[in-house]
Amino acid sequence: MFKKRNNHGKVLMENVVFIILNVMFLMILVLFISKSGQGASLLEETYSKQISLLIDSAKPGMTIVLNMEKAREIAEKNGLEFEEIIFSRDNLITVKLDENSGHSYSYFNKININLYPDSEINSYVIKILEYD
Amino acid sequence: MLLKYLNMIKMYKKAGSKIISVYWFAMILLVAGGIFGMVYLFYSHPYDVRELEAEALSNSIANCLSNQGEINKAILDSEGFNESFKNNFLEECHLNLNSEDIFGGIPQYYLEIHFFNSNNLEKSLFNFSEGNLNLISSCEIQKEKEYQREAVCLEKEFFSLDKFNEELYLIKILTIVRKTEKNVK
Repeated sequence: MFKKRNNHGKVLMENVVFIILNVMFLMILVLFISKSGQGASLLEETYSKQISLLIDSAKPGMTIVLNMEKAREIAEKNGLEFEEIIFSRDNLITVKLDENSGHSYSYFNKININLYPDSEINSYVIKILEYD
Repeated sequence: MLLKYLNMIKMYKKAGSKIISVYWFAMILLVAGGIFGMVYLFYSHPYDVRELEAEALSNSIANCLSNQGEINKAILDSEGFNESFKNNFLEECHLNLNSEDIFGGIPQYYLEIHFFNSNNLEKSLFNFSEGNLNLISSCEIQKEKEYQREAVCLEKEFFSLDKFNEELYLIKILTIVRKTEKNVK
């Protein structure tokens, strides 16, 4: 009688450990997948293309405010200031969230822009000025 | 110590344990490997924005050629189509077709514009083009099947009136964007 109960306890314990290990495995996978989508190089590419397309579709007089909270977090983690992560030269937008990386994408709209950070709202402001 | 370990293994074996089961570990590794592979494949491919870019370029040209259903006066006036617009097309439409250094100075766009009279849609009355003419072969190749590494082609057409609202014209715009290295792996 006593032995039987002891065996039951062992089976229960094994199942609990089995479930805990499975949950841990799933958690590691979910963490890996969510981390993969937030890498510096991926965000650099996304932001540079997004900003270029925004400028391509913009008209003089527009003001675009782009939330860059995630980019700021990553850039500051990599030792970069928020003020220096995006810059525009000629018709090229470059986003740099790491010292050793960076992504550029060109835009075709021949227009003057004023690009500056607004640290208070974790955003970058793109002012579309007159045509070049 | 070794004896204790062997006893432990024996104990697990006896109970038909799932924890140290080789199959269970093999399955876990297989699933983890599969997910890792899929995530790596998904994120290692760049976002392809060429179709969006071609659409934006085509809209930009359409806005330049026609405003509120009326053809731009710089193109069509009382004396007919203005040939000087052809030469200054990029300036007039505020376009800059220069691309990143990675392309070695080779233009990554091609634009072709045709004007047809609505009574005769066969013969183009006025047409002009800009950019890299070699890209036009990509559109021919992709008529039956889409190839990712070829340039993206977009055709747009719309009707517009002259400034006296007398004649109706069909305007066809062909936009081609290459930029393969930046958008496809």
